[in-house]
Amino acid sequence: MNKILLNIIFLLFSFLIISCNKGIEPSEPTGPFGFSGKVTFIGKWPEGVKRTHIVVFKNEIKKVEDFFNYFSFIVDSIPYGSKEFKYNSIDNPFNPNIKLIPGIYSYVVVAQSKTPEITLVRSDWNVVGVYCISGDQSKPKTLIINPGQITPDVNITVDFNNPPPQPPM
Amino acid sequence: MTINFTSKIILLIFLFASQIFSQNSIKGKVINQKGEPIFGASVIIVGTSIGTSADENGNFILSNLKEEKFDLQISAVGYEKRIIKSVQKGKTINVILNESTIQANQIVVSAGKFEQKIEDLTVSTVVLSPEIIKKKNYITIDELLRNISGIQMNLEQVSIRGSSGYSKGAGARVLVAINGLPIYSGDNGDIVWEMIPTNDIERIEIIKGPASSLYGSSAIGGVINIITKNITKNALTNFRTYVGFFDKPAYEVWDWSKQYRRFYGTEITHSNSSGNFGYTFSIKKFDNDSYRQSDFYKRLLGYTKLTYNFNETDNITFFGNYLNQNRGNFLYWKDSRNALVPKDDENGNTVKSNRFFSGLIYHNQFSTYLSADFKASYYRTKFTGYGIEVTTSTADLFRTEALANYKFNNKFILTSGVELSSANISSNIFKNPSFYGGAAYFQLELHQIENLIATFGTRFDLMKLDTLKVKNAVTPRFGLNYKITDNLVLRSSIGTGFRAPTPSEVFTTAGVGAGIDVIENPNLTYETSLSFEIGANYTLSNQISLDATFYQTDYNNFIEPNLTKEGDIQFINLPKARIQGFEFLFDWKISDELKINGGYNYMWARDLNKNIAMKYRPRNSVNLSARYTQAQFEFGVDYRFASKVEEIDNALVQPPLALVIDGEKRVPIYVTDLMAGYNFFVMNIPTKIFFNIKNLFNYNYVEFIGNIAPIRNYSLSFEIYF
Repeated sequence: MNKILLNIIFLLFSFLIISCNKGIEPSEPTGPFGFSGKVTFIGKWPEGVKRTHIVVFKNEIKKVEDFFNYFSFIVDSIPYGSKEFKYNSIDNPFNPNIKLIPGIYSYVVVAQSKTPEITLVRSDWNVVGVYCISGDQSKPKTLIINPGQITPDVNITVDFNNPPPQPPM
Repeated sequence: MTINFTSKIILLIFLFASQIFSQNSIKGKVINQKGEPIFGASVIIVGTSIGTSADENGNFILSNLKEEKFDLQISAVGYEKRIIKSVQKGKTINVILNESTIQANQIVVSAGKFEQKIEDLTVSTVVLSPEIIKKKNYITIDELLRNISGIQMNLEQVSIRGSSGYSKGAGARVLVAINGLPIYSGDNGDIVWEMIPTNDIERIEIIKGPASSLYGSSAIGGVINIITKNITKNALTNFRTYVGFFDKPAYEVWDWSKQYRRFYGTEITHSNSSGNFGYTFSIKKFDNDSYRQSDFYKRLLGYTKLTYNFNETDNITFFGNYLNQNRGNFLYWKDSRNALVPKDDENGNTVKSNRFFSGLIYHNQFSTYLSADFKASYYRTKFTGYGIEVTTSTADLFRTEALANYKFNNKFILTSGVELSSANISSNIFKNPSFYGGAAYFQLELHQIENLIATFGTRFDLMKLDTLKVKNAVTPRFGLNYKITDNLVLRSSIGTGFRAPTPSEVFTTAGVGAGIDVIENPNLTYETSLSFEIGANYTLSNQISLDATFYQTDYNNFIEPNLTKEGDIQFINLPKARIQGFEFLFDWKISDELKINGGYNYMWARDLNKNIAMKYRPRNSVNLSARYTQAQFEFGVDYRFASKVEEIDNALVQPPLALVIDGEKRVPIYVTDLMAGYNFFVMNIPTKIFFNIKNLFNYNYVEFIGNIAPIRNYSLSFEIYF
């Protein structure tokens, strides 16, 4: 009886020991990654706008708190009154401490705020342009960022005369 | 129940003398592990009635022997008997007997504020022997706790049955006490494991469930009570030293130092008595270069204990503990390719600290029925952190307690007491808050019905933390213990717990790097809990012991760190959380030489409002341990598994902050440790050597994001008593 149980225990030990591998491994080295493109503005800029940014969200915003929960990255402020703004997420981060990592991002927009300081409160922001499929701003286009690659042509058109659908506020 | 790997391991060592004193005699000495003679030890030639007893110095002699070789049986009350085969006539043998493996019904626990048999308790309790600390070259007690089922360590933060996640030492949900005196700091409320004098531990008692009804705030998740040794009647000195090194990392890209990183330490303890006065002095120096950059430590620990027996019923004990530490401050890796190197802005950060803990216990046994204790403690902690900013904190914590135990006719035991505590803090990160608290408690244990023990107790706490409103809490608890048979015991308890936020959780205002600040939350409120457990213990023929427990705890206003919408970290109250689980333990003495034990714990810990798992709680964990002894050799293997934790601090590893690059990397934990020991004499001095390999398979895992746990390391220790 004891021998049988002993054998079972040794088998269990052996199984548990064999089942382990090396655990955490170092990631493969990668070069710089990010995205680039241009923002085109149509129409007259609204009054009182203090800041205009390209903002990246992990997922679409379906409720107010998603604005905070899915916020992932923000490009540096676009000068007021611009007609066209070419950018690169590596060269134009808003804050180097706010980092983007390779992955899939479902909602990329141009948003404007009338507050002097940046906040993540939904009501402080107004979405004025969406990275979208075939110019249909109700159909956001997914941004894919691969390790070691800069995803090009992430172009957004902002038509102040034809604003996109607003996420819940 | 007891855990075998912590139970006393048999030692039996004999060394043949070079000198033959008589061709027809065998002589020798019988001592215990500490080198103390065992008066009255019986020495018998197996299969005969020929024998003798050891004298007061442990010496014995068997004369007029006719045969050339004998098998000798040596035994003594309280020690495991041993048979030595083929002892040659004319030789001298020295024999060390180890204390008997403690049976469950003999284990006494005082974590309930009076001495109880462990089999009479209504909550899951484990008692550990300190021997394992030395055998496995554990430097601090938290290393030992990792191998206890139901206990999880997230770096230095202890969690019993999921009571805590990780909050960088800010607050604890398990109360750690020395001889019943809590040892949490006044500012962080954290446990500094390095402070505990491992060389003076008699036993470690662990209550795996809320104990707020006796201990108050910090015991909402359980209690670890460390009982120190009685001072020896004769002079006894213990010298121990160890040295070890970390293996090369598993990946060349991680080999930042190109060296084998070392750790080493030495401690010497002397204990003696003179008349009614007894003392123990100990000093310990332990350093560690660490396998990680900017993660070293240099520690010096001084410890003293003084006792004076006024008479047979009155005694007073004083103990003091001083720790000086200079260490690096590694928290997060740079990234997974630089897993043993800290983030650039944290590289070179250091912390210098000084801590002094002192306690005074006066005990008076007024009569067989009535005893009283007065306890007082003072804990001063001071640290200075050197980084981009210099952080400092000095905290003074005073605590007094008076308790009485009244036993009436073995039918009921009443324990009651009052406590007062206060803390003053001077800090540039916690502000300068103060704390005042008072409490009164009682517990009644009833033995009215045969085989049934019922306990009921409650505690009332009143506390004031600086600008927070005065808060009071009432924490009742009820428990039952029923012995169905001599071998089968059922236990059950239901109780409430509460926990006050620590000054650091409320008032911390400091940067943690990358532009992120920890901000204060003056609205933080007290957390409460309701716990329930039911368990059974079954002992089969003194060889196998089984224990099973179902447990559940519901928390309200559970305090956890959280990322705010402004991008700061702040401690907040989670509205509701629930932890349910099942634990199974076994203890099997296969033979005198081979013992195994282990446990499995399933834990379901949920944030009920978000319906997600609570952070840093593994759902499944397994601990296994085996010990084999053969004459003067002993071997051990320990294995632990914990499933991959479901939730971590995602806000710190995902955009936009991504403070910890690759911080999402986490794996199940599989760790195997090996131990081998050899016991022998050097000039009649009992000597022990232990060799350990920890993390045998060099498995890389984290207990907290971006923080690789110790890689494979080898160590050798040497210990003598004289």
